[in-house]
Amino acid sequence: MKSLFWITVIVLCISCQSHNVTRINPETQIDLSGRWNDSDSRMVADKMVNELFASERFKEYAKENGKKPTLIVGLIKNKTTEHIDASNYIKKFELAIYNSNVADLVESDEFRDKLRQERAEQQDFADPSTVAQWGKETGADLMLFGEMSSETDTNNNRRVVNYITTLFLTDIETNKRVWYGQHEIKKLVKN
Amino acid sequence: MNKFIQLYLLRHASQLPESLKLSGSSRKLSGSSGRLKRCIYFFVLIAFAVGFGACATYYQSHLDFNSEFEHGDLGKALETLKRRENEGDGKTRFLYNVNKGLVLSILGDYEESNEYFEKAFLFGEDYRINYVAEATSYFSNPNVTAYRGEDHEHLMVLYFKAINYLKMNKPEEALVECRRLNIRLNQLNDKYVSLEKFQRDAFIHTLMGIIYQSSKDYNNAFIAYRNAVDVYENEYAKMFGMVVPQQLKIDLLNTAKWTGFQDEFETLKVKFEMPDFKESTAEADLIFFWHNGLGPVKDEWSINFLIHSGPDNTMTFTNSELGLNFPFVVTESKDRSDLAKLEIFRVAFPRYRERALYFNSAYVQLDSNKYFLQLGEDINKVAFHSLNQRMLQEFGKGLLRAALKKAAEHSIRKEDDRLGALIGLVNAITEKADTRNWQTLPHSIFYSRVPLKEGANPVTFTIQSNNQRNIDYSFTYTAKKGQTLFHTFSSLETMTGPYRYY
Repeated sequence: MKSLFWITVIVLCISCQSHNVTRINPETQIDLSGRWNDSDSRMVADKMVNELFASERFKEYAKENGKKPTLIVGLIKNKTTEHIDASNYIKKFELAIYNSNVADLVESDEFRDKLRQERAEQQDFADPSTVAQWGKETGADLMLFGEMSSETDTNNNRRVVNYITTLFLTDIETNKRVWYGQHEIKKLVKN
Repeated sequence: MNKFIQLYLLRHASQLPESLKLSGSSRKLSGSSGRLKRCIYFFVLIAFAVGFGACATYYQSHLDFNSEFEHGDLGKALETLKRRENEGDGKTRFLYNVNKGLVLSILGDYEESNEYFEKAFLFGEDYRINYVAEATSYFSNPNVTAYRGEDHEHLMVLYFKAINYLKMNKPEEALVECRRLNIRLNQLNDKYVSLEKFQRDAFIHTLMGIIYQSSKDYNNAFIAYRNAVDVYENEYAKMFGMVVPQQLKIDLLNTAKWTGFQDEFETLKVKFEMPDFKESTAEADLIFFWHNGLGPVKDEWSINFLIHSGPDNTMTFTNSELGLNFPFVVTESKDRSDLAKLEIFRVAFPRYRERALYFNSAYVQLDSNKYFLQLGEDINKVAFHSLNQRMLQEFGKGLLRAALKKAAEHSIRKEDDRLGALIGLVNAITEKADTRNWQTLPHSIFYSRVPLKEGANPVTFTIQSNNQRNIDYSFTYTAKKGQTLFHTFSSLETMTGPYRYY
């Protein structure tokens, strides 16, 4: 019975622990399940931005173009087995380009349609002196495409996953690839 | 005397301590002081009161609601739930909220239904083990703890919630549920190491694909469908004898093509032996879910165990009929000697009881085309499998509970025989399995995608019973171009009662 008493005391002590929430630095790398997470998105964005800024071919294209190139984000295909939101790193990528001023960005189809709808409504309802004009949109020079894929190998309770993220910029006029970036993240997960 | 108490005493008469056999119990206690007698009577009354509640299973203690629900009297069932609003804050709040959410959903009150499903979802998210209640459960029974919910029940909460949003034409909210489902599936996948456990839910992956497809997110739909095929082909084939629904193959091929995965499209055509498949886009779609029958009910069964002393301070609980042996290490020699005197005792465990299906197939007819509904989820089998897989754990918990209770009884018996006997009676009466589960879930979920034309689409839904009885229902769906409509049809009939709701 003595041991039962101590068990009861211990469980009562444990039950006193309260629900705990702590705010941490978003840059902190925390891996729990081994699946794709925020750290992977950040690593891909950083790597791709660095590669783009260091790319001689991109610089050459900008020089030949005679003006700062304009970019539009196209389709990022996800061929992995996980539901990964590519916009998490694409937005970081866009932000770095925007802040560095190496290229201009124009809205992709999702927001472009909203803008066109707003512009159409302005024609009927807005003060004529403030109405946005048709035919003034900036045409993009380059489109960003991408693909994510993964290869998984499992044995007993161990899993190796290799995530391959590939991004490329293509000249809309000539279909020529101007820049190509690839980043691999390989993870070993033991359950 | 209440019939549960009578039944209980009949079943357990042999286990009652001699001094407390019912006939002439007061005579047997003669010789004690009047004060002690009063105390003992008081405890006996409490024990009976506890026994009254403890004898009934969860299903029996909610017989009014269950009966109304099974008979299709959903208005009354809802009223009964409203009268029991206090359960919404109690140990069975998860079950109260899911039952209310489900009844409201069938009655078409999707907004309010989702309020209750959200409460059930948050309960699952915020659940923390109450160690005091857990410890208490080892001296009484598991029903003193809050009902946590089975893994598949937590997934079903989000299924119903997503479907409610889709019926209300709120695809963004349905996508939120979809992302929550993804997290839940990942958590489930990480929870168990053994591949024999229910780790992946094929139907939930399919549902996610359907939701993504309805939002024109074909890439995510493709991933979800491909994952679903993988689970159906592996776990579901082995565990439940199920096959990949034909509709899923078609949806996977279509989304592969629409995403631009030409290689995968060609590979899948070969794999599914559908070489002539051509992707097709209808003007609109109808996703028809058929909730067939009612899921299983948790019941109780008990086993008698013998105790043997073993080497290295072990005590082994044995049931030779079932070939069960559970060794426990008991370090205290006094506890070992207390346990060794127990010889035989009863331990209660939960088990599922199936409510057999009344209908076995259904189809939707539009013009001359028939679309047969295909089995996506056999909740009955999932529930049985999940419980079977953790039965060893249930045995272990049940035996530990019984051992602790008996050791306490024998310890007290040494000090005061009658008090020990009384504790023995209370222990016997409170010995009970956890029979709580979500009992308004369907037995199985069938589904199909029906291509619609823009405008009004009159369709016939036909359900077929095991005795070839056909019942037809007519619906008209008015669709806009590119729209996906959702409909659920609930057949509450089991082999015991023909009622349905739609």
